[in-house]
Amino acid sequence: MKKNILELHEVSMFYGQVKALQNITFNVREGEWLAIMGSSGSGKTTLMNIIGCLNKATHGAVFLDGEKISRLNARDLTVIRRDKIGLIFQQFHLISYLTAVENVMIAQYYHSMADEKEALAALERVGLGHRGRHLPRQLSGGEQQRLCIARALINHPRLILADEPTGNLDEANQNTVMDIFHQLHKQGSTIVVVTHSPDVAAHAQRIVYLEFGRMVKDVQNAHPHGRAGAPAEAGR
Amino acid sequence: MFFRMIFGAVTRQKQKLLMMACTMALGISLATAMLNVMLDVGDKVNQELKTYGANIMVEPRGASILSDLYGVREGVGVTDKFLIEAELPRIKTIFWAFNILDFAPYLPVQARANDSPEHVTLLGTWFSKHLDIPTGEQVDTGIINLKSWWEVQGAWLEDADESGVMAGAAFAARRGLKIGDTLSVAVMHQDGRERVAQLTVRAIYHAGDKADDGLLAPLAVVQRLSGLEGKVRRIEVSALTTPENDLARRAAQNPHSLSRHEWEIWYCTAYVSAIAYQIDEVLTDSRAKPVLQVAASEGAILQKTQLLMLLLTLLSLACSALAISNLVTANVMERSTEIGLLKALGATNGQISLVVLAEILIATLIGGALGYAAGIGLAQLIGHSVFGSAVAIKGLVIPIIAILILVVTIGGSIPAIHMLLRLRPTEVLHGR
Amino acid sequence: MSRQKMYLKIILSSLMRRRSRMMVALLAVAIGATVFLGMGAVYYDIPRQMGREFRSYGANMILVSSGADSAMRLADARRAEALIPSEKLVGATPFRYETMYYNMQGLTVVGTDMDAVRKTSPYWRIQGEWPRGENQILLGTDIAENARIYAGTSIVLDIVPEKGRKFKKEFRVSGIVRSGGAEDGFVLMPMQTLESLLGNPGRASVVEMSVAADSAELERLSETIRSEIPEVTPRLVKRLMNSEAAVLGKLQVLVYLVTAVVLFLTMICVGTTMMTVVMERRKEIGLKKAIGAENRSIISEFMGEGLVLACIGGLLGLVAGYFFAQAVSMSVFERGVSLPFFLVWLTLLASLVVTVLASLIPVARATDVEPSLVLRGE
Repeated sequence: MKKNILELHEVSMFYGQVKALQNITFNVREGEWLAIMGSSGSGKTTLMNIIGCLNKATHGAVFLDGEKISRLNARDLTVIRRDKIGLIFQQFHLISYLTAVENVMIAQYYHSMADEKEALAALERVGLGHRGRHLPRQLSGGEQQRLCIARALINHPRLILADEPTGNLDEANQNTVMDIFHQLHKQGSTIVVVTHSPDVAAHAQRIVYLEFGRMVKDVQNAHPHGRAGAPAEAGR
Repeated sequence: MFFRMIFGAVTRQKQKLLMMACTMALGISLATAMLNVMLDVGDKVNQELKTYGANIMVEPRGASILSDLYGVREGVGVTDKFLIEAELPRIKTIFWAFNILDFAPYLPVQARANDSPEHVTLLGTWFSKHLDIPTGEQVDTGIINLKSWWEVQGAWLEDADESGVMAGAAFAARRGLKIGDTLSVAVMHQDGRERVAQLTVRAIYHAGDKADDGLLAPLAVVQRLSGLEGKVRRIEVSALTTPENDLARRAAQNPHSLSRHEWEIWYCTAYVSAIAYQIDEVLTDSRAKPVLQVAASEGAILQKTQLLMLLLTLLSLACSALAISNLVTANVMERSTEIGLLKALGATNGQISLVVLAEILIATLIGGALGYAAGIGLAQLIGHSVFGSAVAIKGLVIPIIAILILVVTIGGSIPAIHMLLRLRPTEVLHGR
Repeated sequence: MSRQKMYLKIILSSLMRRRSRMMVALLAVAIGATVFLGMGAVYYDIPRQMGREFRSYGANMILVSSGADSAMRLADARRAEALIPSEKLVGATPFRYETMYYNMQGLTVVGTDMDAVRKTSPYWRIQGEWPRGENQILLGTDIAENARIYAGTSIVLDIVPEKGRKFKKEFRVSGIVRSGGAEDGFVLMPMQTLESLLGNPGRASVVEMSVAADSAELERLSETIRSEIPEVTPRLVKRLMNSEAAVLGKLQVLVYLVTAVVLFLTMICVGTTMMTVVMERRKEIGLKKAIGAENRSIISEFMGEGLVLACIGGLLGLVAGYFFAQAVSMSVFERGVSLPFFLVWLTLLASLVVTVLASLIPVARATDVEPSLVLRGE
């Protein structure tokens, strides 16, 4: 039995009268690939923000890598976030005035030391080795998302947290991104994907369903969408 | 729909709009204040320069060869030339009557004090004489206003005071006079006999020039003692004037050398020479001369001050213009996403520009109104703290400001809008 | 790559690759610095320049003889002049008053230094020319008018020296002088001419001095002369001194107030523009926080950008401001501006403070925001 990377215990989030999340409890083991599924307004983004240390839950306890993060202050959350979590956004959120490699390096810089070689290697892994000197606006949507993934991975996070990673992508690019996720999973990374798309969720080992802020199902996916065997384009 | 978009932008982007309006208001208040102060600074400084004393001297025609300055005795051909006191109120009836601030007549006579053989100048004048002007106006005028730099111990005399005299500091020191002492003053009357009056020293004055070595008494007293009733020797006039230019200098040499048209311009401008000329016209056998030491220097200082203020105003106008257009540019750039979206939705460039411009103009209007009000306040603040009087609000400022704002906001937003319109919508929408 | 290098790279990339926005910010800073230096120079230099302008009113200190003799020795006057700092002394003109006769009528003849008198009495109007030779004289306008003598004609004066016989001499009237004052009734000739005709060289009745100084300093100078050179007595022309103090004081307050208002408003304008430029970057700040930047790093990055902007903008503003001040000074006073060096530092400091403050206020507000709020959707 592998140890738990993430534990949520009776987590609730209230915005005034609005109950965004109620009594969410589940654990994520090391190396597990979990999808959080739900339609718009189900509270999945709120949940992702709590897991990603971007927000604090109003009630309940959250443990990340054995550390209780639900009562930390903003500064400590920042430290946890940069050390343990790699964030991937639907809108990519790249810094427009930095080149691809610099966008990766800035994450290294905030974490510890900027290392251009390592950053280039990370780009290579997501198939962007030749695009290192380009600005985000010169990249396609898929390339931007892969850049975002490279940035998320650069500090070797304990948990990769992706928010609708394919939401802005066409099918071909979606497949490329999912291939990268499969490869990461094979290498032993812990992945949490937040999505509304059953297609994306189907890749995961386990799916947690949210509806109106409550957890309605927590199922093991017996037959994950198998592209794991297919060689990822990442090696290109 | 156009109006709904603008309404939405105005009500839902309050903060941005407010900030823009605030900066506009600042820039415009600066421009308003500077323009108002600049347009009025000439008048204000002119008033201040009046502390330098009279800038026009009126003497009887043909009486001025002999100088009273350096020891030349009152002599032949001079003493019988006088101006008529009764005509003095006419000075306030000339074309530029409103610019005549003060005037005072003088009648100097040689007197002997306390039977000493030494002669002293006894000067008769108005202190603060109440006059009824033929136009129905009433004024108080005299040397109290004219000689603002005199230091007076005791109180100034009153014109009705028949038994009082003021002593110059030098004379008082030489004779050991104190306030309250009585002086017997003997003056040669026209009939050849001396008249003596017992006068009490009411005050001692320190003028810092040769007047310190004399006595000062009400005009009526001196006239009675000397038998020169109704006569004065010279008049000093203090008038607000316009700095001289070439035309005024030519006129000063000889007014008749001007063409009809030039003459009219000159006559109807408050040049010191024009005012002097007009005084000449109303006083019989008089010769009014600008005191160039005061008049010319006044002109120089006025011109410099106005030029300085003009340049400072231009600088602040340029700065507020640049600052506002800069802000507008920044504001337009910030909307790259919004503009990209509108384009993606199928808006034409014209429609987009119109929406953006309309919003900016609304902010400008709010900012402009606030700024104008604040600018007037600032101008008054400057006026009151520097000159102790309100700055005249010139209506001219409003159109200048309005044009400035319009040019600046449109000029500031068009290049930015143009730049954004060139962007492809996809770049803007996915560019981040 | 070292942290410093990465830091620099972030800042420079932000400045270089967001060119149009940075130009806006740079322009704002440059305007601020221009106004600051320009107005600072005006504030500092103009009151003094104005003070010099007031010397067009003529002499404000008169030297007369202390003794019973009405004339003083010019040598004593020169020693007195030497006591006044040369940069403050606008001019010093000796006058010697004598009497000559024209058609049996006595005239006051004044011997003076024709070059110096132009400085101490700049308000004299000359019709014709200033005297340039031994026998050339200026005639007061009253005399000229009465005797119907014009510039360019000749006049014969009777001269009675102290010793010796009365003689006649013909002079050329080079110009007619008009001042509205006593000079209108005088005959003015070069001092050497008067001395050669009447003897007794090296003496003057009065020496008029025009000193660019305020009343307190004038009092001090006059006190020094009084004690150092007992042969002459300095007298201050009270009318000019007091009025100048009053008017110049007001003008100074005016310039100071205007400067203060302009500076204050411009700085706020610069500040709000900077704020607009920075406010646009809330999302970027949120992102940086999300990928693990601490507030400190974000603030130091913005400060770095502000610093670079302030330096470049400040330098641009220094140049523009200097040219503005120079242009004002040249066109108003026909003299170059003297710029105190500390003003340069002050301008740079001010642009730094305003820029950094103006960018930090919105940054501080943005860092308060939870990163999730900024990142959530477009």
